[in-house]
Amino acid sequence: MAVVTGLYALAITVVALLLAAWAFGLVLADRRPGTALLAGGAVLEALLVGFLIGGIVQMIGSHRDFARAEFVIYLLACVAIPPMAAAWGLGERGRAGTAVLAAGFLIMPVMVLRVQQVWAGPVG
Amino acid sequence: MDEIKEEGSARSTAHGFGRLLVAIYGLFAVAATGRSAVQLATKFHEAPLAYLLSAFAAVVYIVATVSLARGDARSRRVAAVAISIELVGVITVGAVSELIPNAFPHATVWTGFGSGYGFVPFVLPFIGLWWLRHTR
Repeated sequence: MAVVTGLYALAITVVALLLAAWAFGLVLADRRPGTALLAGGAVLEALLVGFLIGGIVQMIGSHRDFARAEFVIYLLACVAIPPMAAAWGLGERGRAGTAVLAAGFLIMPVMVLRVQQVWAGPVG
Repeated sequence: MDEIKEEGSARSTAHGFGRLLVAIYGLFAVAATGRSAVQLATKFHEAPLAYLLSAFAAVVYIVATVSLARGDARSRRVAAVAISIELVGVITVGAVSELIPNAFPHATVWTGFGSGYGFVPFVLPFIGLWWLRHTR
């Protein structure tokens, strides 16, 4: 089972992009994020915890040479970003606060891509 | 977003658009810190200059993030200095890495004007300085 490169990573990307689009929609409509968006964020966070655990298991099972410390740090950053974005974004009731949530979701596909690049091997 | 800024306390740098700006600075603080921590811990001997520069960039981003988030008069001055250093850093490192590629064989956040990060490191200090002026 390849958590890092397979369908699981794709699922994280799709969920994160849907949540980002949703949050940007709220920004444009000038509406506050509700319980449903936060529940979606919690689902994403659960997926990311699975990504961290599955990624480490996959790393231990591999004998290839790649930047393992960097790999783990990126996985940890994936798990850390949504709660940080939520704490900072929900601290302000306004469009900008919601935009922080949207940005937090939007960065996740990039983070997943970086994890996959580190997994694939040295890039520079 | 202007109406939100007006509601914020004393035109603080952390409210309105500043909320998003601090988040982006925070992301770069995390990214640069993570990157330089790995570099310094695992392969410092390979390229000490590049990796110390990475660590320096990380510190600049952390200082900019914290001072923009605090937003009081003293923090604004600290932010202005940090973001100015960031601007000089990304332009200098960007120019040197283009002119003398061998100078930075190992990438930093600022290499190639931040091309590895969608040129956001190049644009960010301009926005940061504009925001400090705008909220003055």
